[in-house]
Amino acid sequence: MVELRVQEQQILQSIENNGGKASVEQLIVTLNLSDAAVMRNALTLQEKNLISIHAVTQSIIKLTDEGKLYAQTGLPERRLILAVAEMDGQADLKIAAEKAAIQEQFIQIALGWVIRKKWASYSGKNNLLKLSEVSATEGCDEGLLKFLVNREHVSFDELSVEFKDEAEQLKKRKLVIIELKTTRFLQITQEGKVSLAEGKTVQQEITQLTPELIITGKWRVAKLQKYNIDAPVAKTWSGKKHPYLSFLDKVREKLVILGFQEMTGTSVETSLFNFDALNIPQDHPAREINDIYYIKDPKYGDINSYGAIVERIKETHENGWQTGSTGWGYKYDFEAAQKLILRGHGTCLSARALESKDLQVPSKHFSIARVYRPEVVDRTHLSEFNQIEGIIVGSDLNLRDLLGVLGKFAMEIAGASKVRFKPDYFPFTEPSVELSAYKDGYGWIEFGGSGIFRPEVTQPLGVSVPVIAWGLGVDRLFMMHSGIDDIRMIFCPELDWLRKKQVI
Amino acid sequence: MPTIDIDYKELQQLLNINFNGNMEKLDDVLAYVKAEVKSYNKHDETVNIEFKDTNRPDLWCVEGLARALQGYIGHKTGLKQYCIAKSDVEVFVSKELYDIRPYIACAIIKDIHLSDFIIRGLMHLQEKLDQTYGRSRKKASIGIYNLDLITPPIEYTSVNPKDVAFVPLGFTEKMNLYQVLEKHPKGCEYGHIVKQHPLYPMLFDADGKILSFPPIINSNDLGKVTEESKNLLIEVTGTSQKTVQNTLTIVTTMLIDRGGKAYDTTIHYPDNSNYTEKQVTTPNFNSQQLTLNVEYTNKLLGLNLTPEHIKELLKIAGLDIKGMSKTEIAVLIPCYRTDILHQVDLIEDVAIAYGYNNITPNWPQLPTTGKQKPDQQLINYARDLMIGLGYQEILNTTLTNPETLFSKMNTPPTPFIEIQNPKIITMTCLRNQLLPSLIEFLSNNQSTEFPQKIYELGKVIHPNQMYETKTREEEHLVAVTTHPTANFSEIKSVLDNFLSNLGVDWQIKHFVHSSFIEGRAGKIVIDSQDVGIIGEISPQVLENWKLENPVASFELDIQQIIDKKSLTLKTQ
Repeated sequence: MVELRVQEQQILQSIENNGGKASVEQLIVTLNLSDAAVMRNALTLQEKNLISIHAVTQSIIKLTDEGKLYAQTGLPERRLILAVAEMDGQADLKIAAEKAAIQEQFIQIALGWVIRKKWASYSGKNNLLKLSEVSATEGCDEGLLKFLVNREHVSFDELSVEFKDEAEQLKKRKLVIIELKTTRFLQITQEGKVSLAEGKTVQQEITQLTPELIITGKWRVAKLQKYNIDAPVAKTWSGKKHPYLSFLDKVREKLVILGFQEMTGTSVETSLFNFDALNIPQDHPAREINDIYYIKDPKYGDINSYGAIVERIKETHENGWQTGSTGWGYKYDFEAAQKLILRGHGTCLSARALESKDLQVPSKHFSIARVYRPEVVDRTHLSEFNQIEGIIVGSDLNLRDLLGVLGKFAMEIAGASKVRFKPDYFPFTEPSVELSAYKDGYGWIEFGGSGIFRPEVTQPLGVSVPVIAWGLGVDRLFMMHSGIDDIRMIFCPELDWLRKKQVI
Repeated sequence: MPTIDIDYKELQQLLNINFNGNMEKLDDVLAYVKAEVKSYNKHDETVNIEFKDTNRPDLWCVEGLARALQGYIGHKTGLKQYCIAKSDVEVFVSKELYDIRPYIACAIIKDIHLSDFIIRGLMHLQEKLDQTYGRSRKKASIGIYNLDLITPPIEYTSVNPKDVAFVPLGFTEKMNLYQVLEKHPKGCEYGHIVKQHPLYPMLFDADGKILSFPPIINSNDLGKVTEESKNLLIEVTGTSQKTVQNTLTIVTTMLIDRGGKAYDTTIHYPDNSNYTEKQVTTPNFNSQQLTLNVEYTNKLLGLNLTPEHIKELLKIAGLDIKGMSKTEIAVLIPCYRTDILHQVDLIEDVAIAYGYNNITPNWPQLPTTGKQKPDQQLINYARDLMIGLGYQEILNTTLTNPETLFSKMNTPPTPFIEIQNPKIITMTCLRNQLLPSLIEFLSNNQSTEFPQKIYELGKVIHPNQMYETKTREEEHLVAVTTHPTANFSEIKSVLDNFLSNLGVDWQIKHFVHSSFIEGRAGKIVIDSQDVGIIGEISPQVLENWKLENPVASFELDIQQIIDKKSLTLKTQ
């Protein structure tokens, strides 16, 4: 004997009353149950072989908002010739359109249809629209619009042949849409009918265990309903760290373990530290408005406290000062040095660390800096992103050490198995090295740029020992790490993506 | 970074290498000069090459590129000597140019056979030099003429723009200089370089024929170079004498490589003027000399190279040696290498010739202590708490726009930092509060499941005259909850939990703020200082953003808490 619960019995009975077959939608309405409740019970009934579930997919034709409007007010071409008819069979196109209340941008469309349907002729010379002698009878398209206007769920397959052809035309005019709709039907089985007829299996069951049942001990006599534990449940969304920030946390942690201390600074920076201190001449293309954001107001920062340093930087740019360099050979402009910009790289923080009175030898520093470039945002460009950069200051550092540091980063931070070095160029380092790392599954990837700061950079800042400088392409690394191919996902505006993004 | 189209077949021929269409192989060779293949067009067999080094204009033509690579591929080491013959062509510069476009350098090329291919290469080089090395013609720009149509001496002078008219290249009608700036495409593009001066620069020959209006455009009569042109005049004008002369060297050596014979010219700068040198002969193909210290080289590279070895490596890099001792090497730098400022540049050339990948890396063992930034610990506590409270962390850009910050939030503007040259209309200023970005975020997620609870911890930027950069950055925390029954009590409870966990005593003070519902907004006060705001967002703001659920939020200047707390943390 099969046991039936209340809702199961109700559903079975309702199907039987409906002639042995009913759709889920019908049952939701008749029994005032939720979709989930009907489906949960239907699945149990199917398991018990009392019903079978069928899904039928149909093409449904529906009017669009524009279609609905025309079904009520008439197609624009119809309205146009009606207006012309009222004006004795011929009229100026603009006047007729105005009379027919057709908006400017739809006039040409309405005219096109009038001509195509041969309802009127049109002379472009004098803009005159003249009705045809044949009267404009109601077209099949208009018939279909009327047919659809008060009906829902019209099956495309059940339309007449003429209507079917017309439906395709109206779809092109975006007046109707044809969409697939799946309806689930529940059909009672022979066994189901028997169970219903026996009609004695209904038993009251407890769904939610309540404090009252526990305290009073009533739970001993109650029958607790067995759940369908396979049934889907509502989603729970936890609070989580942003995947990109979480990635930066890990990089920060690794750098701290490797003995680096974090540097910070402001996004608004003076040209002095973003450019001049880094041996970037004042007419360098990187300082053009296409490459760096300038601040509108205030335009200039205050570099008075760096008097001696600015003087040395000026000399270095002009003639090399005491650095052994020829310098760039131009006239240095103090005003240009004061210009405020949004920092274009994190290297300005390294310059500030070198300038600091607290600089120790040896020491290692890193920064995770928000940097800015006037880029149009697309799959591969952001106008605002992060750079991880750093320096190592030590009296005997050399190119071998630089390569060793890069190799360490590639292994520790990118999880690379092999590294490769190429000559690179930065105005502030010499020698300069580009790091490529080989990562299983990804191949060779460009991973960062680096070098030994030029004497033109270190000496004016008061540093006489070699300084290794490096920068890592952290955004690219994150994209690889999390399998995304659109850099805009870093500032992802989709809550759903953030909720579903796995933490590992 | 400059990119140059190079003829692939020509490069193979000049290098005597067949890359068999393998761009990786070509890339490996290009790496020696810091260049890489960007794309390869199989149809016309051109390779688009990107050069990282902006100071090596000598590489920006196939001839120069091949010249630089000869040593690395083992064909020919040492520097390439170029000869120059004397000519009696003179150029006279007038005094007023000192303040307009002071410098000029000229060279003559004779007996050259120009093919269409060479002309295209020359034009390409000219364009790249003008653009990049010449800083969009401001610092230097090049003009090339058919010498046979010109009667020397040349006069480089300044004229009143409306008094002089000529037919500019590519046009048929005569126009005065104002009209050139207005009508000619090059005039529109580069006119700003001369516009501020009452007089414009002009080049005439001895017969008073116009060569060009530098740096804008050549004359259509004299300034057209075709396959029939056998003898050429090359001229570079600009604001930096060094750049002008270097540019001339690069163009001239390229034409010598193509079989031309080069002749010099004498430039006469006026007496009684600000010019320091009154007479200059151009071009100058003399090598420069720089002393390389052997010990410094080895110290910087971490190697132990002998002077002989260093000499060999320098020659591979296309340099040469004048003399050497155990401690020093006198290095000869060819005229076309304009990038050497310091001996570190030579040391890098030594390293590249040695091969970066032949150097054994070493992880320097230094006694340093790692440390995250002082604020980070409190920031992490704050983030952990918000996550524990069920809030999703989000990340927004600090760039935004006043409409988002103020108008759509229904508030008058508060001081903020604007960008002078914004690129996109949605990113014209820096945020001075976080809340608007989060409200904007909600408006992008109206079809996502509710309740939505989000927070951001990030920087806001305020103008502040007290600081060096005239700005102050603060770390802010904003939390937002939205769902059909979201309200003030809910968010206050979250704030209470958050601040209590940080051990902060706080009060709330009623206030009116047009972003919030009146009577449902307050200032958050710690130690009688305002540190933030809390409230239920006004329906007007919700409507502005097309939000359909109530929203409650708080924003805290967490920097103040960090500043107070970091003291306590340090002593722990």
